[in-house]
Amino acid sequence: MRMTKIYEGAYQWIMFGRDVHKPEKIIDTNQYMVRTANRCLLIDPGGIELFAPMLAAVLHHAPVEEITDLFASHQDPDIISSLGLWDQALPNAKLHAATLWEGFLRHFGCETIEYVPIPDHGGVINLGTTELQIVPAHYLHASANFHIYDPHAKILMSGDVGAALEAPGTPVFVDNFDMHVEKMRFFHQRWMPSNQAKRAWIDRVRKLDIDILAPQHGRMFKGDDVKRFLDWFEALQVGIAV
Amino acid sequence: MQVNQTKSQFVAVASIAAELSAVMEVAKEISLAAANAKAIAFRAGEKAKGFQPITDFINELAKDTIELVNNINEYAFHLYRLTVNEQRMTEACRRFEKVGQLAVGARYADSLATPLQEVRLRTQICHREFIIQVSELLIKLADVMHPARAARVIAANSRIEASQAGEYLQSLQAVAESVDNAAQIINDKVHKCRSALTIINVAE
Repeated sequence: MRMTKIYEGAYQWIMFGRDVHKPEKIIDTNQYMVRTANRCLLIDPGGIELFAPMLAAVLHHAPVEEITDLFASHQDPDIISSLGLWDQALPNAKLHAATLWEGFLRHFGCETIEYVPIPDHGGVINLGTTELQIVPAHYLHASANFHIYDPHAKILMSGDVGAALEAPGTPVFVDNFDMHVEKMRFFHQRWMPSNQAKRAWIDRVRKLDIDILAPQHGRMFKGDDVKRFLDWFEALQVGIAV
Repeated sequence: MQVNQTKSQFVAVASIAAELSAVMEVAKEISLAAANAKAIAFRAGEKAKGFQPITDFINELAKDTIELVNNINEYAFHLYRLTVNEQRMTEACRRFEKVGQLAVGARYADSLATPLQEVRLRTQICHREFIIQVSELLIKLADVMHPARAARVIAANSRIEASQAGEYLQSLQAVAESVDNAAQIINDKVHKCRSALTIINVAE
């Protein structure tokens, strides 16, 4: 599992992904960790197949007992089907996920971990020394969907927005936006159902100060590529299957 | 605990649930047969005087069986929950061991030792409880065999009483046959449940 530090300040953001041992037919995913002095948040910790390499990678940065918070942007298996295993591993953790998905996510096994339901309007995750914002992103693509914004690190973890389907071992940052567009087009047109939801999200996100836009699949965007992505996404027609 | 063993537990518990559901249906049929027999015996009057108390016995046996099966169903559901928990913990042990292999050299690799030890312990406790529940369920299943055996004796008595019921002979004999068949089916189904549970015990 490749580990890339994307923010270093009073705390760190680390991106995990590009696992070379990943079974061929499961989609590649990016997992993110926010590491403070004594706590740790895992953002979209991944599918059950990824649990062992993911936790092994996390153990380079934090002990198990300091993994105190998990966040699931939505209910898909590549996001959080590992929940039942984290539930056995973490003695004092919380899962922050949509109120709407609680009854669904509990199917994965959630008896030790405390489920903290996120209302539709979003909320915050307080990690003691820093506080992250939970930004609504409903219908992008799931009916209850949230992203994480860190105003200090200026990072927006954008779930499936900005995602691309790429070959294994691809770089972690977009290096040529124009060439990257075709890797994102079908994903956004087919998985994102609503132009109205897309516009609402863009209006909200344009007000945020973002250095890095970090999706759950493919490459991250930094600097001017963030604005380029927002412009491209705004012009794109989504929900093309009907 | 091996993954295959957990799978055989799932199959055994699912088989028991299916067989118990069938036993419940048959017990309800016996109850219906008892009501039918009571109506016939009432119409037959003096000719079926000896048959009338038998119908009450048949009804009582059906009620007892239904009550026992309801009680056993709760055990079976509890066994199912234990199997799900054990499967999850077994899987967690397997994955944690894999983490241990992959995390060699990681700064905090040792921090996984306690969760691994705890999940192993919980798995053992869960499996011990499963075994205790299986033993108790075997005893409960033996209890269901009693009314089924009694029903067969009653069916034999019913045939004798039916032979003295004149024109009601055929109707009452049909009731006796129905009770006898039902008791035999219950006996077979319960035997299958016991066999499924015994396979788990043997696998220990």
